Amino acid sequence: MLKIEAKKELPGFSLDVRLTAESGILAILGPSGSGKTMTLQSVAGLMKPDEGYVEVNGRVLFDSKNKINLPVQKRKVGFVFQHYALFPHLNVWDNIAYGLKDTPKDEIRAKIKQLLENMNIDGLEGRFPRQLSAGQQQRVAIARALAPEPDVLLLDEPFSALDPVLKERLELELMDLQNVFGGSILFVTHDLNEGYKLGSNVAVYHSGAIIQHDTKENVFSHPVNRDVAKMTGMRNLIEGVITGIDGKNITVDVPSWGESLRVVSDRAANYFLNQEIILGIRPEYISLTDKPGENTLAAAVSHKMEGIASSNYRLRIKSDTSEKRYLEAVISKSSAGPLPEDSDCYLHLHPELLVIMAE
Amino acid sequence: MTDYLEPLLVSLKTVTVTTAVTFFLGIAAARWMARYEGRFKSLIDGLFILPLVLPPTVVGYILLLVFGVNGPIGKTLLAFGEKIVFSWEATVIAATVMAFPIMYMTAKGAFEQVEPNIEAAARTLGAGEWRVFWTVTLPLAKAGVIAATVLAFARSLGEFGATLMLAGNIAGKTQTIPIAIYFAIQAGDMDKAMVLCIIVLAISFVSLAAIAYWKGMAAKMKPVKVS
Repeated sequence: MLKIEAKKELPGFSLDVRLTAESGILAILGPSGSGKTMTLQSVAGLMKPDEGYVEVNGRVLFDSKNKINLPVQKRKVGFVFQHYALFPHLNVWDNIAYGLKDTPKDEIRAKIKQLLENMNIDGLEGRFPRQLSAGQQQRVAIARALAPEPDVLLLDEPFSALDPVLKERLELELMDLQNVFGGSILFVTHDLNEGYKLGSNVAVYHSGAIIQHDTKENVFSHPVNRDVAKMTGMRNLIEGVITGIDGKNITVDVPSWGESLRVVSDRAANYFLNQEIILGIRPEYISLTDKPGENTLAAAVSHKMEGIASSNYRLRIKSDTSEKRYLEAVISKSSAGPLPEDSDCYLHLHPELLVIMAE
Repeated sequence: MTDYLEPLLVSLKTVTVTTAVTFFLGIAAARWMARYEGRFKSLIDGLFILPLVLPPTVVGYILLLVFGVNGPIGKTLLAFGEKIVFSWEATVIAATVMAFPIMYMTAKGAFEQVEPNIEAAARTLGAGEWRVFWTVTLPLAKAGVIAATVLAFARSLGEFGATLMLAGNIAGKTQTIPIAIYFAIQAGDMDKAMVLCIIVLAISFVSLAAIAYWKGMAAKMKPVKVS
């Protein structure tokens, strides 16, 4: 159990966050410069907030009101730095042993052997960091952080330096780490997929504040506002007005398109008639169809960027009042025939996949 | 024989003590300033480097003001029966003041090159500041610190102006090799000057060779990178 409150004023930036985490992985998601790393630093004691409170498993590490500020050394916080910050002059064994100074020799030996095995790096103990691949370096960094048995593990952009294949493998390993390490794991990322895959809870950061802190399902399917929506990859947002509510079915008029769309939401009770709302849909959720119908819009392909398995499209809704507004769509090649630039098509916006936001 | 031996002994003694003192003072100051972010940063930095940019005679003059019998420190020491000016200690003080900025600047550069996160990692693993310094910062800045020490050694071996002003030219006591060379030439004793010059060349050459050898050993000890 982890409680964090931190306020810090810096020239041109202010941090004001409040977080809680149970055991399991909490993903801190946000663009660079939004205060994610600073949050980890205030937990570890590498940065002192102007005001705040940090508690790990009932142990108060920092409390500005009662003038408690445990030094870094006494916080029992495992920190995996962005570029791992391994000791370049020590071999893998000594890197991992660094945090085990006051442990009896044979215990150190047993512990390191166990960690090497758990992290799949046995046999590398004599190597120096520069002789390791990025993936091996990350495993050593995690093993080193775990060795002194910290109460909480903090990972700062742990996958940013890795190629996609390796990244996927190490992501799976991090999931497994939860079985070995019982405490809370906080990990910082600017990668949506990573945050979604790994975190059981997600905190979305935006310029020094948390704009949504919830389970990942809620954050990704019910963003509280357009900032969260954009941050979680919901790139298509359009203004609308609610003109009908019937059970779970909500009718939304979109004046810019002159269209009326049906949305299915299990939070229909939260909305009211004539409410002005934002309607959002992920590019991946837009599908193509060959004939007009419900929630179907006539569109023209304006730009196309072809990928391996799916292609990215910029589509212009034909009835749109603005010439400069586009819908972004990612459409799998298996579902769409060749769709060149300037061709016409029909878009289907599935009622269950449209999201309503109050602001 | 004593003509050569005396300046050599004085120089060796002075350079050894000066290098040792400068080593510790310079490292302490460099370590402190490398991570200091207070508002007096540039002021303190400037003060530490000042002797490097001032003419040695100006430094010598300031030292005379400070350590002279009427100076703040000189007066205090005199009360304990110690006189700094024209004593052997004066050669150490003058050479230390002149060598310090080089030691400080070079070591500071080396400390600043150490990735702050690596030091932070050591702290999160429970290491106190002292342990962080000895086991992480210093080993990672080793090459720069060695270079700094060599430069400080060379600078104190060559020190002339400030030493002459503060310590004078007392054979067997404050007459270092550079001062002895100068006065030999003044007296027209070119042979003596040449022998002293050869001694300096020898010292410089031997110390450079020792460092090169030592660096070579260090490189051999490093494990080979596997591809």
